[in-house]
Amino acid sequence: MSEQQITGQLASAASTEVMIEINQMNKWYGDFHVLKDIDLTVHKGERFVICGPSGSGKSTLIRCINALEEHQQGDIIVDGIKLGKNLKNLDHIRTEVGMVFQNFNLFPHLTILENLTLGPIWVRKMAKAEAIETAMMYLERVKIPEQADKYPGQMSGGQQQRVAIARSLCMSPKIMLFDEPTSALDPEMIKEVLDVMVELAETGMTMIVVTHEMGFAKTIADEVIFMDEGDIVERNKPVAFFENPEHERTQKFLSQIL
Amino acid sequence: MAIITKQKTADRPAPLSETSVLGWLQKNLFSSVFNTVLTLITIFIIYLTLSGVVVWGYLDATFVADKRRECYDNSLTGACWAGVIAWLDNIFYGRYPREEIWRIDFGGLLLVLWMLPLWLARVKGKILIGASVIIFYPFLAGYMFTGGDKGWFMQFMVAGAITAFIINMTNMLVGLLKNTSLDVFLMQLFGQADAGDKTQRNILLAMVAALFVVVFLWQASWNVTEVVWTKWGGLFLTLVISGIGIASSLPLGIFLALGRRSKLPVVRVLSTGFIEVFRSVPLITVLFMATTMFPLFMPEGFVLNKLVQVIIAVILFNACYMAEIVRAGLQAIPKGQFEGAHTIGLGYWGTMGLIIMPQALKHMIPNIVGNIIGLLKDTTLVSIIGLFDILGMLRSISKDVPWVGLHKEPLIFGAVLFFIICFSMSKYSRHLEVKLSAGDKH
Repeated sequence: MSEQQITGQLASAASTEVMIEINQMNKWYGDFHVLKDIDLTVHKGERFVICGPSGSGKSTLIRCINALEEHQQGDIIVDGIKLGKNLKNLDHIRTEVGMVFQNFNLFPHLTILENLTLGPIWVRKMAKAEAIETAMMYLERVKIPEQADKYPGQMSGGQQQRVAIARSLCMSPKIMLFDEPTSALDPEMIKEVLDVMVELAETGMTMIVVTHEMGFAKTIADEVIFMDEGDIVERNKPVAFFENPEHERTQKFLSQIL
Repeated sequence: MAIITKQKTADRPAPLSETSVLGWLQKNLFSSVFNTVLTLITIFIIYLTLSGVVVWGYLDATFVADKRRECYDNSLTGACWAGVIAWLDNIFYGRYPREEIWRIDFGGLLLVLWMLPLWLARVKGKILIGASVIIFYPFLAGYMFTGGDKGWFMQFMVAGAITAFIINMTNMLVGLLKNTSLDVFLMQLFGQADAGDKTQRNILLAMVAALFVVVFLWQASWNVTEVVWTKWGGLFLTLVISGIGIASSLPLGIFLALGRRSKLPVVRVLSTGFIEVFRSVPLITVLFMATTMFPLFMPEGFVLNKLVQVIIAVILFNACYMAEIVRAGLQAIPKGQFEGAHTIGLGYWGTMGLIIMPQALKHMIPNIVGNIIGLLKDTTLVSIIGLFDILGMLRSISKDVPWVGLHKEPLIFGAVLFFIICFSMSKYSRHLEVKLSAGDKH
């Protein structure tokens, strides 16, 4: 499977325009130093996969980019806007950056269609008919348009995660963040979600994906980042990363999960 | 040894014990000799109690009499319901003038009619109907109950209320007959269905304004006589106090709960302090404070009537309990829901109003209804500070000369009345829970 996917690797869509810039960023939870001197530049169309053992800070890193977590030192600049205490900026960033969670976080009291149109109608002030049209288009793209009137609780995990992806896309974000999107899924549902993500990558979306799906990483990633204990230990092209990991910790990690 | 089924096993009917009445009886009541004995003893105890109640309350009871003496002449062992029957008007309406009682009934009927569309599936625009009842009904009902001269403001609100009511009723009829909403129906009627949104809105606004003017001119031509609040009483007063208390304390409680969870320290400390102070004091203390102490702090000549003071006290007191119920409901919402809402760019109020509250309120329904029932019963405390609510009225019967000493029957009647009201609320809340959990089915 992995061999085939390496040959089927997507061409890079990276341009020179900088979407995310992180400089010497530090974060603590109380006394615990979660992220240490992180530097990272993501260009438009670039696709990163972040992996690492649990507790290494990879989820925290992408949650900082979306301002779900506050960082204490250094700068995070997303689409030219510096994250900080300015609430207006925060709301703006969140409409530009879509995020998909491990547990989907769909709104259980709303139908799928309402889940998808809520943001466009209330935040983007889109007309209802237009919002529904957009939502149906994205549901089409994640291949579940017939489920529009169901509630999230009536769907399988894989379907819910695809709805979650469509919900983010409805806000037409410039960047998509994925926080272990397949970790809570049954094995037979992982593929349907990964397929949707690969298709999204083909459209040239800027993506940062935290995942342990190495076959997927090989297919879409421009670069793979390995994190451990709050440090970015290694970053490399996927082929090099998997064939010749430089760092000892990376080697150990890869030997455990492959 | 493992036995492997090679063919798909066909479904068989369940054993009788799961489906038939007899099976249920045998399984639950007569499963062993000991359980059979227990069942028989229980049935005997229930029979003894119930037969006593039926004999006292119905078979031996007196329903028609002019005074308590006559009840005794009729039967010594039965209840004297005649006293309760003679006082029924007082129990329900207090000392409200008899020829004006229709105003109370009318107010109640108005509320029922106004809310009726909310339960009819075919009627459209439920949110507007709900909003109109909250905004306008209190003024119309308030005026019907108190009467007197309408000031400018009252004229305005009464006219608004009547306008809203007429629109609401027409909308209901259109919904039931044509299965569409009033605005769509009117547009078709005038051949403007294809006109732009703006044109349609202007036409509708003009029609509402015209109706309002007509109603305003009409309502200016009549007044109802004033009935001072001291004449209010009975179940009517109980429902007014608890009704206003419930309707106001829920929104206030929501804001207090949000305040207590706020990130802003001043808001948080103030909300927490307010909640803790009022929650730590018995209601009766708050009522006494409101009616005896509060006027002392007010400037000379500033007189609020006692009823208003009591209602404010009840609202503040109950809002704190509501706040804690709401807070518990909010805490039950997983953090992921807040994050999900943030990632589609919703701000604080959007997140709370669209995502968190609708889910939390659903979890809170049993507790909110419990609180409402509690409040309804707690309201009887106002009889201690001299308002003649239903309890005050029931207890006055024993001091009325023809019925002197008649305690048991009025109080039992009151208990049954409260039971009916509270039990129906509890049943309705159960129904709401089932209805609202439609999205939770897996």
